[in-house]
Parts: sequence; structure tokens; C-alpha cells
Amino acid sequence: MKKLNKRLLRMIKSSKGQFISVVVIIMVALSIFISFSTTAVNMRNAIDYYYEETKLSHIHVQLMRIPQGALRQVESIEGVTDVQGRVSFDVPLKTDDEEEKVRIRIISLPEGGGKVNRLYSPQTIDEITQGNAILIKQFAEARNIMPGDIIEPYINGREHSLKVIGVASSSEFVYLMENEQTMMPAPEKFGVVYVTEEFAQSTYGYKGSYNEILIRVKDESMIDDVADELDKRLDKYGVKRIIKREDQLSPKILSQELMGLDMMAAAIPVLFLIVAGIIISIVLSRMVSNDRMAIGVLKALGYSNREVLLHYLKYALSIGVTGSLMGIVIGLLLAGVLSEIYAMFFEIPLLKVDIHYVYIIYSLFLTSLFCIASGLMGARHVLGITPAESMRPEPPKSGKHIFIEKIGFFWRRLSFSWKMVIRNILRSKRRFIFLVMGLAMAFAINTVPVYMWDSATGMFYIQFGQFQKMDYIIGLAKPMNEDVIYDMKGLLKGGKLEPRIEYPFEISNGWRKLNASIIGIPRDTKFYEFRNEHDKEVTLPEKGIFITEYMAKALNIKKGDRVKVKNFIPGKDDMYFEVREIIKQYLGANAYMDIDYMRETLTEKNMINGLSVASKEDLKTKLEDARNISSVSSIDDMTKTFEEYIDVMLLSINIMMLFGGVLGFALIYNSTIISIAERRMELAALRVMGFDKKEIFWMLAKENSVITVIAIFLGIPVGIGMIQGMADTFNTELYSLPMIITPKTFLIAGLSTLLFAAIAQLAALKKIHNINFIDALKSRIS
Amino acid sequence: MEKTPQIKVENLSKFYQMGEVQVKALDDVSFEIYEGEFVVILGPSGSGKSTLLNIMGGMDLPTSGRVIIADEEITKYNDTKLTAYRRDKVGFVFQFYNLMANLTARENVELAAEICKDTMDIDEVLEEVGLSERKDHFPSQLSGGEQQRVAIARAVAKNPLLILCDEPTGALDFTTGILILALLRKINKKMNKTVVVITHNMAVGGMGDRIIKMRSGKITEIKENPDPIPPERIEW
Repeated sequence: MKKLNKRLLRMIKSSKGQFISVVVIIMVALSIFISFSTTAVNMRNAIDYYYEETKLSHIHVQLMRIPQGALRQVESIEGVTDVQGRVSFDVPLKTDDEEEKVRIRIISLPEGGGKVNRLYSPQTIDEITQGNAILIKQFAEARNIMPGDIIEPYINGREHSLKVIGVASSSEFVYLMENEQTMMPAPEKFGVVYVTEEFAQSTYGYKGSYNEILIRVKDESMIDDVADELDKRLDKYGVKRIIKREDQLSPKILSQELMGLDMMAAAIPVLFLIVAGIIISIVLSRMVSNDRMAIGVLKALGYSNREVLLHYLKYALSIGVTGSLMGIVIGLLLAGVLSEIYAMFFEIPLLKVDIHYVYIIYSLFLTSLFCIASGLMGARHVLGITPAESMRPEPPKSGKHIFIEKIGFFWRRLSFSWKMVIRNILRSKRRFIFLVMGLAMAFAINTVPVYMWDSATGMFYIQFGQFQKMDYIIGLAKPMNEDVIYDMKGLLKGGKLEPRIEYPFEISNGWRKLNASIIGIPRDTKFYEFRNEHDKEVTLPEKGIFITEYMAKALNIKKGDRVKVKNFIPGKDDMYFEVREIIKQYLGANAYMDIDYMRETLTEKNMINGLSVASKEDLKTKLEDARNISSVSSIDDMTKTFEEYIDVMLLSINIMMLFGGVLGFALIYNSTIISIAERRMELAALRVMGFDKKEIFWMLAKENSVITVIAIFLGIPVGIGMIQGMADTFNTELYSLPMIITPKTFLIAGLSTLLFAAIAQLAALKKIHNINFIDALKSRIS
Repeated sequence: MEKTPQIKVENLSKFYQMGEVQVKALDDVSFEIYEGEFVVILGPSGSGKSTLLNIMGGMDLPTSGRVIIADEEITKYNDTKLTAYRRDKVGFVFQFYNLMANLTARENVELAAEICKDTMDIDEVLEEVGLSERKDHFPSQLSGGEQQRVAIARAVAKNPLLILCDEPTGALDFTTGILILALLRKINKKMNKTVVVITHNMAVGGMGDRIIKMRSGKITEIKENPDPIPPERIEW
């Protein structure tokens, strides 16, 4: 081995604490990069293949009723390749436990499985016949239902029994959720059951007709045109919604999840590499000035600038390569774990953990580049060292007055030890700036999980404590006269009731449009509390509409603008409404109108399709068998689901805090070790003068605390920026994170940063004990 | 037969600008050195002898004048050529040894040798300086004299044209200093290497074949010494 390389290895060995701390940062960065990108790409490949294998529909139409024969009108639209009608409806399922509420969606399947949205099953399943059913896999597994078991749904008030003949997956329900309002899949509470067309049509009262159409087109670019054409042709069948694939619930959540993965795979590693780069450049620049004489000797021996520089760059590079290799191995292992976690929420039968070498090469390249660049930044002073000069002892660093001293009244009040602390901090301005930058970043990373926690819990409690105050929302199976309220009142022992109408519409402004429900409620509602952008409470106007912030952004609308509401109800015209307020709603995105005004303009007089209820009774059980009621959602149940989800969230928040902490630790640890090494003689002199180890420790601790506190203050805007970016990324139709940033956010993040800084300082304590002051004073060997 | 000089220093000057004063570290210095000579440059501190050695060693450039070594004008060299010159033609011995702390004695010698084309056998060289037994020790485990022997071995192993020594005994006690000087003389005789030693120690002058005395950047005397004293008899 070349002797310089041998020297390099011994350099690494003698600075192993520093070396390892940076290696760990790079390792974390790369394991995140590799595992996230590998998982994202594997999921994407598996999903694309799965969608094509099972012929997932490009357009999904929900309508009131369409006769089987009328599907020909759809087939004749240019670009349409396959059309399939089906009947789909949600019903309760009988369970052994009276308390437990389970709902299933019954979906008809044509003979032979059809041409669109085919089921996927590794085993061949017999043809479904009358009285048989196929169960969706997530539900069957969660409830432990086997082929041969009997399930008993209530359909239109009557109990039916179906024999399960097989279990299959569907690309339509990769993420199995009942509707947009459900936050998390609960496969033991909601499932999908496939039955014959005949069974579905006859039990649900749809003989010879369908309420859903699945359409596949020749080329995905035609989806928009076909959807527009469908809108025209199907108007008379009472189109409720025309949902393009990108807007379908499961594909949409999946693609959002993948986007989130992509973002994390890019952002976190880059942040980490920047901090690693900062440390490498500080460490190397210190190493070079420490080795000044050795560098001079090497040059005197005939080593060229390039060779000496390369020697130091190799130090940076070996950090990079060691960290990368470990990160890659861990990343590949983690990719397996991550895929398994995703498999818990997403049913992707063809998901494989493939290794994508391009990411490995990419990450090696990226890390090497970072390390070489920061190495060059730190070691470039090698070039300036001339052999002749380096032989002479280094002149003492020029002591200078610092600007703070000009603030006389402040400076005079400082004790001597504080003056020393401040002078020391500002001794190397460049290092001070780097260190503060790095720590500010570590702090900012810590603010994000604190914010996430506040805003996710805030989002939930604002939604259900402040914005919506009912206990139940009841959905009626079909629109009914509002007199139904009196019937319901009779059923309930006390409690409050309010009528509601909720229908999906297409809301547009010019070419911008989105599908959303408009909810009609009484103007003097006791169950909703609207707040506008300025957090001021507002009430529904007699005329006009309220829309949410998300919608306003998506449609590019300001208060006072008009939106067009396209009416899917047969015989009703499209209408324009003035936006009277832009309101806050964090879960879901809806528009709100006065119920009377809505019925006048968009729906039918006196008719409602839902009720909001405040009641302490268990309405789920009570109304389970009631005719005409299609759904009972309980806010309490949602809270419970959410609270389960909080545990998962807490774990990922702790992991993120740990990440920020690792960065802070590495920065403080390295800078402390360096400042001890650099000031060995000074510290030794202090020891000779009678300072004890503790006093020296506190002096260094004071320096670190001052730097950390400055970094925390400067990190506040960085943290706000990161939080803003996070909120923007997660702002979707399903939910938007409220900007809940309080001093507490920064306090918690700041305490955590200080804690890790303190741990790092303690870790460096050993080096203070190792200063042998007699040696330090006489030594001149580098 | 007239001998041709191996080293020719012609009208060499080096000025430093220190604030408003110009310091003349070297002021129009000229002399010649012949192959295989043992030359002692004598002078008090600040006389310019280190500057002279640095320029001869290709570590520094003069303000004016030339240094010609083996018919090559090194003062015309650019940085790359100077590096190559240091690599192949000169060996240095410093007052404070300047060994790499994290390499063993043998590795320190190899460090210098492995970048040269035509080197000497490292074990032989270590044998020659009397360090065969201690070659796997790190500098911190060696005495000052031993460290200086490693430094000499490091200079010799390159098989250079000349060996430049800057106060090689300056950090050593008398007895060890004498041993080091004897070692340098032995290498000079046995291997026929030109050795240039700079020192402020007048007593060392007596062992040189040629003595160059300096003061305030100028040469005050060049003396040929046909009858040098063996180092063992020097006293100070």
C-alpha cells in the first residue's frame, strides 16, 4: 500500500469519532434515498402492470339508472374500447357481534369476469353463480372469512345469504376505503363483495339496468374528450359523477402517496448531505491547518500539490464511500420493510422488491460529488502552503477586536469568561457561519414533525370540535320529503336534528374545474361553524355559496367571483353562484349553501337526502335495519380511528426528531473536538494556570450553547419555510394541513436541538480529559 | 584538469517587502560547489542562510540571480518542474526532523522513496543509519537523535544529487549532534553525495571541505579546507 494511503488510514483511525459521525449522516441520507426511491419505483411498476393486467377503467360513471341497452350509446363514442355496466350499492352485513357495524359494497360482475376492472386472484375461482359471491381479499383476511363460509348482508331491509366461493383482489380497491371522508382503510369494517349481475339487479331493484358504467379508452390522452362526450350523452340517465382514473379514490391516494415518497426521497437526503458536507469541510480545513508542517514536508519531498490535495480529498471520499455503501445496504433492507408497511395499507398483489441499480449508481455518484466538493472547500488551503514557510512556526492568529466590543455598554457588562467565549466563537467567522447554518437546518428539521403533530391533531379536532358539531350524519337511501325529520324525531329520545342535502357537482371557473359535494344546510345551523380566511366567524348568506380554501386555490377564485355549477340531475340547468366567503375546512373539500336556496336552484323543493344529528344514543345500532337509510356515520367512530392512527404518526414523528438530532449531534461533536484540538496549547496553558477540567468543559459548553441558540433563532424562518413546503405538498382535496405554528412548535424543536447538542458536548468530554498539558506545551510535532 | 562545479549560484538576491521596509534576505550571493563536497554554510540567525538553502532546494524562488544544478537552471523552473526537482534530485534534513507522526520509521523513509524513480534499498539505508532495530517504531517512540537518523535515511533513500541539511543538530544534545554529523560525513564519503549543512555553530565549520560564511545576506568569506577535522574531534 502507498505510504500516503497508510497515513490516511491512520488519520481515519485517530479521528474515528468524527469519521463515524459523518458516515452515519451519509448512511442515513442514503438509506432513506435508496429505500424510498426503490419502494416508489417498485410500487409504480407493480401498479402500472396491475392496472393493465386487470384492465382498470379509465372512466368510472355513477348515475341514477341506465337500461342495459343504452350502453351501446357509450360504445359508439370515438376512442372507447370497452364498456361495462354494473350495479353497485352499500349495505350492512350481519355479524356475530351485535355491537359491531360492518358495511359492504355489493358489486355485480358480468359472466366470465367482464372486460373492465377484472378481479385478480392467484388461484382460479369458479364462475360465480346465483347465491355465490367472491370477497375482496383485504376484507376476507381481516375478518378471517374462508371460501365456503356464508355471509349475510341486509339488502333493502331483507336478509340474504351468500356463499363465499373465492377471494380476490381488485385494482379498483388497492386502497380500500368506503369514501373520501374515511381517513384510513379499516378492512375489518368495510369490504367489497362481488355477485352475479342477476342477484344484484333483482335484490336492489335494478332489473335490466345499471347504476355504474366502467369505460376503457384506446389512449389515455382521450380520457378528457370521452368524459365530455359522456356528459352530453348520459345526461338523461341522471349522471351523478364522471370520475377519471386520476380522480378515483384508490388510484388518487396511491399516486399522492407515491408523490410524497418521491419528495421525501429527494428532500431529506439532500438536507443530510448538505450538513455532512459542512462537517467534512470544517474537519478537513482544520486537519489541513493542523498538518501544515507535514504538508510542507511532503511538498519538500517532492509530492505535488495535486498529490497532497488528493490525499486529503481521499479522506472526504472515504467518508462518502463508507457511508454510501452502508446506506445502500441498509436502504435495500429498509426497502423490503417499507414495502411491507405499504402492503399493510395497499393491496398490490404483484409488488416485488426489485433492486434498481441506477439508484445505487446515482447515489454513489451524488455522494462522491458532495464529498469531493466539500472536501475541496475544506482542503483547498493545501495549495497555499509553501514548503519553505511551513517549516517556520505558525505565527499566532492575529487577535482582533470584534464588532460586539463596539457596543460598549453591553461589552463592559460581560464577565471575563463570557468575553472569551464570544471572542472564541468569532475567531473563525467562516466556521461559525457554517456551523450556525448546519445547526439552523437541524433545528428546522425538528420543527417539521412538531408542526405535523400539531396540525394533524389540530386538523382533526378543529374539524370535529369546532367546524362540525353533530354526533352523526345520516344518509338517506333516496331523496325524501323533509317531513322525515318528524319521523326521526319520534325515533330519538331527545337530541337535535337538522336537514341536509349533499350532492356531487362539477364546479368550475373557466377551464378550471373540480368535482365536489355541495352541502345544503339551514342558515341558522347549530352544527356548522364557518370561519373565513381571516379566522372570522361567518354565517351562510341567503343567496350565494361558500367554498373552501383548497377549492378557491384550485379554481383560482376570490371572494365575490362567480363559479359555475354543473348539474347532473336530469332536467336541471347549470347555474352560476357568487362566492360569498372562502372558508377553512381541513378534512375534505366541500361547498356550502343555504338549504332552501340550494333546493330552489339545484335540487327539488322540500326534498332532503340526509340529516345531521346530535344525540347521545347509539344510532348505528338503532337505525341499522331502518329502511331508507343508507348510511350512519358516527363522529365518535372517526375519532377512534383517528386516535389509532395517531400512534403510527407518533412513531414517524419520533424518527424525524431523531434525524434532526443526529445532525445536531454530529455538528456539535465535530466542532467541539476540533476546537479542543485547535486550542490544545491554549487549554493546556489554562490548565497550567489552574483552571480545572470542569471549568474548561463549561467554557466550551458556553460557546456551543451560544452558537446553538443563535442557530435556533436563525432556524425559525427556515423552519417556517420547510413547514410551508410540507403544508403545500399535503394540501389535497382529501385534507389540508392547517398552518398551526405557535411558539410551542419552536420551543419543543429548540429543546430537542439543545438536548442533542448537550449529548454531543458530553461525548466530547473525553477529549478534554485526554489533554496532557505538559506534552501539549512542549510538542511541536504535528 | 579543471573540475566542473555541480552547483553554481550566480548573483542571487531575495528581497522581502515588510510593510514599508525592504528586507534583503540575500544580497547578490555567488559561489560554486563541486560534486562530492561537504559544504558548511556558517552564519548567525538572520544571515540569510535558510533562504539560500530554500532556493537551492527548489522550495523558494529568488528575486534575481540564478542557481544552476547539474547544468540545469532551476531558478527558471515552474512549479511542476520544481516539484519534480525536489522529488528526484534533493534530499532534505530539517532541524525539527519533521517526520509524519502516524507513520513508522520505515514508512517515513518509504514515503519519500516511493515517488522517486531510482532509489536505494530502504533496509540498507536504515542499516547504514543504524536503525534496523527500530524501524517499526513510530516517531513518538524514538529519541531525538533517532528521529534525525530517520530524517537522514529519508533524504538518502531518494538517491539524490545533493543533501541539504538545515541546522541538523540544532535540536540535539552535543553527543547526539556529533553522531549525526559523523553519519552525514560517512554518507558523503561512502556514497559520494554532495552534502550542504547550514548552521550557526562555528565549530561545525571545521569538518567541511568548503566553508561559506554569511552575514546580513552577504557572503563574507569562502574558504577551501583541504584538511577537514573528523566530526568526532569537534567540540563546542
